[in-house]
Amino acid sequence: MRSPLHNRILFLIALLLAVIYLFPLYWMYVTSLKTGSAIFAVPPQLLPEDPQWSTYAEVWATTNIPRYLWNSLLIASGVTAITAIIGAGAAYVLARYRNGWIDVALFTVLMLQVLPPSLMVTPIFVGFASIGLLDYPRLAAVLAIAAKTMPFFVILCRATFMTIPRELEEAALVDGNSRAGAFFFIVLPLARNGILVAALLIFMQGFGEYVYSASLIADNRLQPASIGMTNFLQPNVVNWNAIMAFAATYVTPILAAFVLLQRQIVNGLTSGALK
Amino acid sequence: MGPLRSMRDGIGFDTLLIGFALLYLLAFAGLPLLYNVIISFQQVDVFSLGTLLHPGAGWDNYLSIFRDPLAQMVLWNTIIFTVGSVAFQFTIGFAFALFFHQKFPGATWFRGLFLAAWVMPGLVVGVLWNWLLSGDFGVINHVLLSMGLISEPIFWRSDIDVSLYSVILANIWYGMPFNMILLSVGLAAIPDDLYEAAALDGATAWQKFWTITLPMMRSTIGAVLALGVIFTLQQFDLFAAITSGGPAGSSTVAQYWSWQLSFREFDFGRGAVISVMMILVVLAVSLVYVRSTRAETRM
Repeated sequence: MRSPLHNRILFLIALLLAVIYLFPLYWMYVTSLKTGSAIFAVPPQLLPEDPQWSTYAEVWATTNIPRYLWNSLLIASGVTAITAIIGAGAAYVLARYRNGWIDVALFTVLMLQVLPPSLMVTPIFVGFASIGLLDYPRLAAVLAIAAKTMPFFVILCRATFMTIPRELEEAALVDGNSRAGAFFFIVLPLARNGILVAALLIFMQGFGEYVYSASLIADNRLQPASIGMTNFLQPNVVNWNAIMAFAATYVTPILAAFVLLQRQIVNGLTSGALK
Repeated sequence: MGPLRSMRDGIGFDTLLIGFALLYLLAFAGLPLLYNVIISFQQVDVFSLGTLLHPGAGWDNYLSIFRDPLAQMVLWNTIIFTVGSVAFQFTIGFAFALFFHQKFPGATWFRGLFLAAWVMPGLVVGVLWNWLLSGDFGVINHVLLSMGLISEPIFWRSDIDVSLYSVILANIWYGMPFNMILLSVGLAAIPDDLYEAAALDGATAWQKFWTITLPMMRSTIGAVLALGVIFTLQQFDLFAAITSGGPAGSSTVAQYWSWQLSFREFDFGRGAVISVMMILVVLAVSLVYVRSTRAETRM
């Protein structure tokens, strides 16, 4: 065992590393609270002298951020619903069997995980335009994003299903359950936590998605907050306090969910991401 | 067994579960992949968008991409961006993973904290770095100036010699935690008695690292590097938020150029050409990744 002093030094180094690394997040919040002139002070102020909480209210009232966030929420919910409903069953089958067909399916899923959205969006846009799907832009974005998030979700959930003992399912079958019954009433409840964490990660991805939304959704009223940020960024390159307030409003829910569920998220990632 | 019964209680049930997912992926990833190849041989502009098939263009799109004066610079930018990002994400991530592998109180919690960066939307990360790297009022220039490392401010986003590196810097920050977490998993899988045996033989920390840690981590390192390349080739949001590929294309990489051709110049055929070629590169890299994860699960 290490000495307490040694542990304390390691702890302090860890604290220092975290402070340096997370400084950009701190800077976002601090900048959002500074006055319009304080953001350009030299040297930069580490703390806002006169915190301007009203910037948040102004940004909320003047930038359409409620509408943008609502669209982000809709898109993220749609993506998560499609991904989880279709992906969980597939993950279960891929975890249960080991044969040539399953290997091919797993290989396909792994390979589809890697396709860059900014490259896939060209054929998707042209294809969607020709079949009229672009008339429903948010739906089009949801369908495209879900195809991107599904492989990742399947890989994460498959790792969860692999940890559930087969005997529990077999016992349910002996007790007279059908295969479907055993899946819905025994296996799914046991895998609930893993599925929820994976779904949360997918929701976060959907909430912050940019490429597909920016390319498929032309109507400003239907665009999510990621595009809202770029729209807002261009004309006012000096309003960094307002831009940072927009950014903080956008990401604080994500960061809060992360802080609350840090342990589960890290565990879910570490058990599934490499398998 | 009837088909309905089978769907509830037999192999039909499993086929149904996996079939839905595969059909979905076929429709929204498989078909676009094929369609991509088709439109790369067609002339697609805003006027011919409404139809599924467009006037043929033969190899014209391909030739015009190869002859484009931007092509060579974009190729180099893509290589520099990928190698630079992956090399630093990996080494810093590995150093952090080794540091947090020393089991001191709070180590796991601190390590997890770094993932806060990873869960952020890429576009917001880009906007944050855009502000941090601002030429006149950016806090990074201020720190470098006051430490005496530079004598005048660097115009990160608008200087053609450094614009690409400003995106690389942001991408290293963004991608490092994921590298660290994956490498931590690999470190945790190495049995402690190997180190204990080496300690009995009087091995130094340095010797243990080279003779135990690195060889035992080989397949993890392969997978992490391959994943790093894959994620780096997917990176788009940081470019959109920091430099928009500019100035004068100096920070344009292939995946950004493809998108610009399609959605800024509405030349979808040429956008598809780059898309086809880059997807082939990504798929080749992911073969390496799938192979090394296979080695992992067999162990």
